Amino acid sequence: MSQTLLFLIPLLPLSCAVINMLFGMRLPRLIPETLAICGVLGAFLLTILFWGYAEGEGTRAVLGTWLSSGSVDVSFALCFDKLSAPMTLMVTGVATLIHFYAIGYMRDEVDYARFFSLLNLFVFAMLAIILADNLLILFLGWEGVGLCSYGLIGFWYRKRENAKAGTKAFLVTRVGDVFLGIALLWLFALTGTLSITEINAQAEMISPGIVTVLTLLLLVGACGKSAQLPLMTWLADAMAGPTPVSALIHAATMVTAGVYLLCRLFPLVSLSVFGMAAIAGVGAITALYAATCALAQREIKRVLAYSTMSQVGYMFMAVGAGTVSGAMFHLLTHAFFKAVLFMAAGWVIHLAGEENDIFRMGGLAKNGPKELFWIFLAAAVCLAGVPLTGGFFSKDGILLALFTEGTLLYKGYWLIGVFTALLTAFYTFRLVYLVFAGEPRGEGQPHAVPALMRWPLWPLAVLGLAGGLLNLPAMVGGGESLHQWYGKLAGRQVTASHDLEWLLIALATGIVAVGWLLAHLRYRSYREPLDNSVSRFLLAGWQADAVVDRLLVRPFAAMGRFCSAGCDRTLFDGTLEGLVKLSGRWSGLLLQLTTGRLTTYLSAFAWGFLIMLGWFLLKLVNGGGH
Amino acid sequence: MTAASLPQFPWLTLLVMLPLAGALLCLLHGNRTVESRWLALATSLAVFGVSLYLFFCHGDGGSGWLRYEDVSWIERYGIRYVLAMDGIALLMVLLTAFLQLAAILLAWRVEEKASYFFALLLLLESGLMGIFLAYDLILFYLFWEIALIPMFFLIAVWGGENRRRAALKFFLYTLAGSLCMLVAMITLYQIHGDQSGTYSFVIGDLLQTKLSSTQEVWLFAGFMAAFIVKSPLVPFHTWLTDALTEAPAAGSLDLTGLLIKTGIYGMIRLAFPLFPNASRDFLPILAVLALFGLFHAAWCAYNEDDIKRLLAYSSISHLGLVVLGLAAWQLTAWEGSILLMVTHGLTTGALFVLVALIRERTGTRSLQELGGLWGQAPYLSAMFLLFSLASLGLPGLANFAGEILVLLGVFQVHPVWAVIAFAGVVFAAAYMLRLVQGTIWGPAKVKRTLPDLTAREWLILLPMAILVVWLGLYPAPFIAPLHGTVAPLLLGGMP
Repeated sequence: MSQTLLFLIPLLPLSCAVINMLFGMRLPRLIPETLAICGVLGAFLLTILFWGYAEGEGTRAVLGTWLSSGSVDVSFALCFDKLSAPMTLMVTGVATLIHFYAIGYMRDEVDYARFFSLLNLFVFAMLAIILADNLLILFLGWEGVGLCSYGLIGFWYRKRENAKAGTKAFLVTRVGDVFLGIALLWLFALTGTLSITEINAQAEMISPGIVTVLTLLLLVGACGKSAQLPLMTWLADAMAGPTPVSALIHAATMVTAGVYLLCRLFPLVSLSVFGMAAIAGVGAITALYAATCALAQREIKRVLAYSTMSQVGYMFMAVGAGTVSGAMFHLLTHAFFKAVLFMAAGWVIHLAGEENDIFRMGGLAKNGPKELFWIFLAAAVCLAGVPLTGGFFSKDGILLALFTEGTLLYKGYWLIGVFTALLTAFYTFRLVYLVFAGEPRGEGQPHAVPALMRWPLWPLAVLGLAGGLLNLPAMVGGGESLHQWYGKLAGRQVTASHDLEWLLIALATGIVAVGWLLAHLRYRSYREPLDNSVSRFLLAGWQADAVVDRLLVRPFAAMGRFCSAGCDRTLFDGTLEGLVKLSGRWSGLLLQLTTGRLTTYLSAFAWGFLIMLGWFLLKLVNGGGH
Repeated sequence: MTAASLPQFPWLTLLVMLPLAGALLCLLHGNRTVESRWLALATSLAVFGVSLYLFFCHGDGGSGWLRYEDVSWIERYGIRYVLAMDGIALLMVLLTAFLQLAAILLAWRVEEKASYFFALLLLLESGLMGIFLAYDLILFYLFWEIALIPMFFLIAVWGGENRRRAALKFFLYTLAGSLCMLVAMITLYQIHGDQSGTYSFVIGDLLQTKLSSTQEVWLFAGFMAAFIVKSPLVPFHTWLTDALTEAPAAGSLDLTGLLIKTGIYGMIRLAFPLFPNASRDFLPILAVLALFGLFHAAWCAYNEDDIKRLLAYSSISHLGLVVLGLAAWQLTAWEGSILLMVTHGLTTGALFVLVALIRERTGTRSLQELGGLWGQAPYLSAMFLLFSLASLGLPGLANFAGEILVLLGVFQVHPVWAVIAFAGVVFAAAYMLRLVQGTIWGPAKVKRTLPDLTAREWLILLPMAILVVWLGLYPAPFIAPLHGTVAPLLLGGMP
């Protein structure tokens, strides 16, 4: 019975969201804010309290039936196990800190109730994805996070572009959702159940060809939420939302939902060699693509958005290389340092007088608070993969897994991963130099920010830096504790000779050094941004938006016009009107008969009589013939 | 039919006759607006009470007829007054009674010839109840036409600018369909009478008729002509967009929430059981029509600037999915379809209410002239957002429950249909978000202070909102009555 209490973890943020939604506007500001904090903090504390349930095989709990019809029987079921528990802890923990930050960040916002209820609702939906023991519950969360993301990107709805960016995010991710949905239908038809546990258990009974197709369907679904190619265009625009939203949804949690989905269904997904290669391939291409885009971005949040895309690409590569623990390791460290980067970016933007363009910033190391500089630097070195930081260990683990996978294809992915690491180091230090080095180039006046916007960054920055301890490789004296924790769920054990590992570490260190050196040479002293066709191409994200617009949006709208004007108004209504006119003409002819003149009627009568008489005569003659 | 032998209170007759009596009383009140208003409300409250009572009595479903009332009527022609209720009818009755309450509250401020307006609304309710309950062909046809006439007048007298044209189109289209049905009914009656020697219009008797395959196809076509036009399936849908657009608010609500459901109900109740072989052959065609309609209407909706027309198209698109579920001939898909009929009635009904409220406040229905309502009327906009999200099939809200059951069911027998239909999910998001974007987000275009929801409007919308969440999270009470009904229908029999 007591395991039912696990439902409190997702339901706490949900109930706070509902209360804020219904009454938030009428309450003094402090109450909705406190409620929002209580919802996520409570969920965080409960996760710690219930940690024991995750041991062993984990715990499953059922609250009641959602849908039941024929062979369909879907219950509200959750699964608190070794995969979901750390993710729950991370999401609720990071969300709590971001909620505190958000209170400071949104202190002048009048529509706070809407903001905090959506933020809480998001945490609920995210927890539904993580804890779901059932694909349909997962789908509920999956669509739920999409909705909250939509509502929060377009939070400042009066600017049309913001609302448009929200709509775009919803639609693009929903394309992915359709594929996930089809996989869901298919899995149900094959296994007769939607329970994730049972599907994983029955996975080996499904024929290999179908498993490959299912894996690909799941992959596209994951791509939508995680902004991987080709469904990545929404993420950069999503930066229109308030910064806490970018930190929480578009960096730490929602965009990693795709990775989590693939890890959750890993027993199924890993059965398909082709599917795994496709997952790693999508990750590799996206990682490279996004890193090149990040090179040329001018808005600080867009740089971070592309870097998120790129880092999530690494996580996909990890899943494709068969290491769940490697993917989750990078997911966790990335969540810590990327949340810090975004929140620090919010701080930077604030100091720069709401300026987004890094080419109009500068000098913050000298003029800004020292605290900000150190925090930003701490997170940036994690992103760049400077040795001994959390980001270094997690990224290195993925590269090692790719290298040791064996086939040539994965060696290719490894090469892309290494090259992307170089780009990452370069654009990260470019960002740091442009924001902090030199003299101020903008109009921003340094002024204090509320304490709430400062202190939540510290614990996360520390976690990012020390994140390597979570899963320290054996060769530097660690026990690979995360890998051990996951046990059966961890995926492939990555083994390599120590020489090889040292070689790769040396390579990674060298790459970071080269990346830093290049950035140092280029941006130590300020230079105007390049403006050539290549930089414009990269700035526009390889013109992906224009391509989508040309290939999808415009034909869709044209088809709409065709259906509406061409079919409905012309063809269907036109035919009908033709019929009406035709019958009108017929009735006109008939009307001409009713002339009102007696003579006409009489002669018509006479003719009719004659014809009938003739017909009878004819019949009589024919009958007589027999 | 053990229930028939027990003497029992004629609750079903009450459902049909109460609104009829209310309508007559309204007419007698002539030009006294206030009295007729309250009278209409009292009547529909009573009807709602009766239907709730029936729902609580028979909520757990069970096979066979839940209620059966059989009285001899015109014996000479074998016409009987038979009202029967199974699980499906129970849900439709409940939906009718509920939406009718909302319609009356929505029409509260109608001043022009108000007593006639309310009389027509009640007459319509009587007709609808009759359609959902009648178990005799002539009785069914009678109610079918009774429901047609009030709607015609509601559009023609209280409608918008092009009301005459829209009303005439509605009338001619549906009349053409129902005349085909009438001919088929009489032919079937004749054939059955010639075969068995007892002439009867009672559907239960006619089920035993032995038909040659040609006869069956023609008769089936006659019935389906009426039902397809009413549902409406593309390409016979253009009357609906015009009628919905021109009808007064309460009329649009009834039209989209209830009247078009009678077409689908007719298929389930009459066409499929009476002509099982012809229906089986027709199912693939029905599926193609449904899928075509689903996408065609979605595209039209995407292109539409008038929010009422946009919602009309979204209705047609949703009903495409309902019909697809029926065409799959599978238990889960059918239960999903019927649930989706109910939830669609709620969500789209509520959206039509909101459109009327927005029109009242801003004086426009064009996406070009609307925008930024959230800042001016946040509660109204929140409601609008809620029902739009329900309509685009967000899990946890009403429509999703029906849709996913349909898709899960359809996939088991025709995976390709389900896969194509699932893509419609993106289409729904595309036009609904365009609607939301143009209405409540963006800069405010109507530059005056707009009143938020009044108490009466809360009274209409709040129960609907609660139901939309309830049906989304716990639809079990509304699926339960279907369990015993749908399975025998799929086997070709009647309860």
